[in-house]
Amino acid sequence: MVAEATAVLNQPTQQAHWDRLAAKARFRRSARLTFLYSFLIVTSLPIIVPYFWLVTLAFSARVSTVDTSVLWPSIFVLVPAVMLTLAWSMLARSRRQALIGAAIVWAVAVLILAVIVGPNLNLNNFRFLYNAAFGAENTNIVAAKDRPGFSTTAFPWVWTAFANSLIIAGGATVIVIVVASLAAYYISRFQYPFRQSSLAAMLVLHAFPITVLLIPIFLIIWKLGLLNTLFGVILVIVGIELPLAVFIMKGFFDAVPWEIEMSALSDGATRRQAFFKVVLPQVVNGMIAVSVFVFIRGWEEFVFVLVLSTKQAKWTMSLYTFYILEDSTMGVDYGLLSAVALFYIIPSFVLYAFAQKYLMQMTVGGVKG
Amino acid sequence: MATIEFRNVDKSFGPVQVIEDMNLAIGDGEFVALLGPSGCGKSTSLFMLAGIYLPSGGDILFDSSRVNEVEARDRNVGIVFQSYALYPHLSVRDNIRFPLRFKNVPADEADRRIREISDLVQISELLDRRPSQLSGGQQQRVALARALVKDPTLLLLDEPLSNLDATLRLTMRTEIKSLQERLEITTILVTHDQIEATTMADRIVCMRAGRIEQVGTPDDLYLRPASLFVAGFIGSPPINLFAGEAQNGALSVNGGSLPIAGANGSVTIGLRPEHLSFGGAGLSGRVAQLEPMGREVLYVVETEIGHVRVLQQGTAVEHPTGDAVRIDFRPTDSLVFDTTTERLIPDAEVKAAA
Amino acid sequence: MAAIAERLGTDREAYRASQMRRRLNMAFFLGPAIVVVGLFFVLPVVVDVVISFTDLGRDLRITEFSTDNYERALGFGDTRQDKQLPGVIARTVMYVGGTLLIFNTTFGLILALTTTALPRGSGTFFRAVWLLPRMSPSVVYAILWTWSIHGGDTSLVNQVVMGAFGANGPIDLRQLHPMWVIIFANGFIGASFAMIILTSAIRGIPEHLFFAARCDGAGSLSIVRHIVLPQLRWPLTYIFIWQTLSLMTSFEYILLITGGGPFRATTVFAIFIFQRAFSASGQYAYGAALAFFLIVPGVILALILWRISNMNTLMQQPRIEVQ
Repeated sequence: MVAEATAVLNQPTQQAHWDRLAAKARFRRSARLTFLYSFLIVTSLPIIVPYFWLVTLAFSARVSTVDTSVLWPSIFVLVPAVMLTLAWSMLARSRRQALIGAAIVWAVAVLILAVIVGPNLNLNNFRFLYNAAFGAENTNIVAAKDRPGFSTTAFPWVWTAFANSLIIAGGATVIVIVVASLAAYYISRFQYPFRQSSLAAMLVLHAFPITVLLIPIFLIIWKLGLLNTLFGVILVIVGIELPLAVFIMKGFFDAVPWEIEMSALSDGATRRQAFFKVVLPQVVNGMIAVSVFVFIRGWEEFVFVLVLSTKQAKWTMSLYTFYILEDSTMGVDYGLLSAVALFYIIPSFVLYAFAQKYLMQMTVGGVKG
Repeated sequence: MATIEFRNVDKSFGPVQVIEDMNLAIGDGEFVALLGPSGCGKSTSLFMLAGIYLPSGGDILFDSSRVNEVEARDRNVGIVFQSYALYPHLSVRDNIRFPLRFKNVPADEADRRIREISDLVQISELLDRRPSQLSGGQQQRVALARALVKDPTLLLLDEPLSNLDATLRLTMRTEIKSLQERLEITTILVTHDQIEATTMADRIVCMRAGRIEQVGTPDDLYLRPASLFVAGFIGSPPINLFAGEAQNGALSVNGGSLPIAGANGSVTIGLRPEHLSFGGAGLSGRVAQLEPMGREVLYVVETEIGHVRVLQQGTAVEHPTGDAVRIDFRPTDSLVFDTTTERLIPDAEVKAAA
Repeated sequence: MAAIAERLGTDREAYRASQMRRRLNMAFFLGPAIVVVGLFFVLPVVVDVVISFTDLGRDLRITEFSTDNYERALGFGDTRQDKQLPGVIARTVMYVGGTLLIFNTTFGLILALTTTALPRGSGTFFRAVWLLPRMSPSVVYAILWTWSIHGGDTSLVNQVVMGAFGANGPIDLRQLHPMWVIIFANGFIGASFAMIILTSAIRGIPEHLFFAARCDGAGSLSIVRHIVLPQLRWPLTYIFIWQTLSLMTSFEYILLITGGGPFRATTVFAIFIFQRAFSASGQYAYGAALAFFLIVPGVILALILWRISNMNTLMQQPRIEVQ
């Protein structure tokens, strides 16, 4: 055995043996970290670069073709900066050293960037936010040809689209919260036939891809007279997100102790009063989590908005961005399109980050998630 | 040969310092217990020996060689976790075989060793079961077998008995102790149970908040505790402690007074319940409460210096509640500590009566 | 006697009142949800089945009932079979299989394994990067893809290919390898699903199991093989089924990036339905019939998922029986 063998050797040789093992350990660790970081950086580049490009385009000069005068120089400065910081933090002997090194690297990087790239940066592309007539010179909306009855006037004010998206997302959120909370409370607290299968049904519905039902839903909305209305889209989004919302809310209701309700009931409240006054305040976190999900869905919805408007009746941010992309004259203004896309995408990211916090506290259907 | 040494070892996790300047030497074949309350750093010390954690400062030495950065898999250490950490998807046999896989042990040699070790810990009939089908005691023995099958130089046990019920705990205590004596393997046991430590270990390392309070044999810690903490931690039922002021040979405590020799100023005296007896001309008091505990009776006596616990051998209750009694003890049995430094004042003692 | 009768009468009244309240409560709480679910899940399925037997078209009028649509899809009876269908189905299988196996399960697993092996901050960073596609609105994601791979000189791909690798002219990935384009585009999004679920599963493995393995002599790869992977069997099965269902019916990104082309090279089943129904020809009834072939597997797979999730353990018996 190793133990006996080393016992026979003298001390310096023993120490040498252990030192070799320590060196092996250090090597293994560096090799592992190097491999992991390299692999992840290389495979993540195809995602990082386009998004970064979007940001640089939005903030740089408008040219008729897509412009990379900011992108590549930035990358050539930033990538070495990141690698240097990583390498330094692996070699540094203490936390303070690592931080100082990183600070120096980044200060230099920012300086270089400011010199090389700075002159190109401007906010010109964001003029669509305050200048309604930015599209006045471009009156040709290509995609309109395929849409019967589509108007070919100048591009609408972005804030109209913004407002519509807000209405859709917000409206759907409010309705889902109300309906889901009521239903989830009932499933969680009451005894009724088919109770067992209700929860199963919710999960099955959530897994079921509703886009398969695009055609019949289109026909139903048409029959209800809700085509080309915001409310039609709102209803569809409610339908899509309701099963998951009920599932999540039920989890939150399950976590409310029975004792709270029982004491309310013994104080003379009816079950409905108990629900509103006592139980509902306990599940506010759940309602916030659900609100965020539904709002994001409403904000991002594209397919149903596209299908449920046969005329250019209601613009949403998704349609707006889509048609700028399709437009052969304005679509080539990459700067403008980037700025619009950025404007559209930022609320999504903010909401997702916000939802993260609440995701951590979520219990899934009665079992801790 | 398997001697261990902690030399000025520090360990921090981020801003939290868990171990501070730890110095400890353990000899070959010794059975040492790391004893202390939860959070005192005993498991962390164990994991640093195993190579799971890296010391933030100082050195860990195996046979006088520095091994800080050596990985766990190169250290030939056997470890039993509090939760046993058995691989849930493998049979008992495969659990025990697992370490041999990485030592390139040939199949028949491996089978022989598995058979040997399972006989040793008496789990031979369980080899084909899954961990989920075993009781707590059985799981623990499997964990032991897995730790020992690789013929380790060091055996580490992290609270191995705390998840077992009382009777099982007793049997496992003797089993582990005799196993260790038979194999003559350097063993380190982590526990918060002082009875475990005193019955199993050759030496006890009493720890608190990342520092070593005292190292010594069980007798050392019991008879000559170096600090108030050790005195309070060792011994069941817990020691009676009274803080007071000593001046000119008289200790005033809570209104009462006792003769004291060898100490002055703020002192705390310690009297073990089992060293106290009824009778004589000592402390006077009244029995406030009594607990018959089978072969002994625990009295709580209300005296002028406070509540005093007295342990009497025998099943008979000699002094029912309300009885007036006097408490006596040998001065040499008393312990006197400096209240501020909390350290023992070695030659000081207290008398029951003038 | 009269007293007893009177008391029985009031008891019966109280019981009826309680029954009334029970029904009111059910209507009040569950009612809206049932209406919504009925309107958007049950009714559409029924409508789809009914419509599939009609000739509902662009004019939005029904004149007859027949099995023509199914005959056209399946190739029996006197209706001419839709010649494009077999190709569409083949492409769908290729697309679903490719994306599922390469990205949605395998690469998602790799991402989970690699990001959890890194220190906390770095791991979170890379997971956040891989969540960007999923968090972006579909139109924006499609824009980024289009700009990156289109056939002009200025696309990212061509700038790299021509600038760094010195190619003579630009390449148009959408023409050359459209199937790979949609596999990658959807794969980037799909991988994050498995990544999230598996990361959480890996984090759920008790830490001491890793410590024990390390002391037993296992290196990183052995730990993955013997400790991590066995614990991931159930989550992986779940992900496999869920993602199959999701991919079978996905079409949004394909529509936005390649439009189903070039020349139907990326027209998978769901796109095919969309094109048939919502293009100029507006063959709603035929589309409904085709959709039926997605609804059935959809329901079946969803039911299997439910089975796997072991629903019974999640129900808690109610403790208040008063209405």
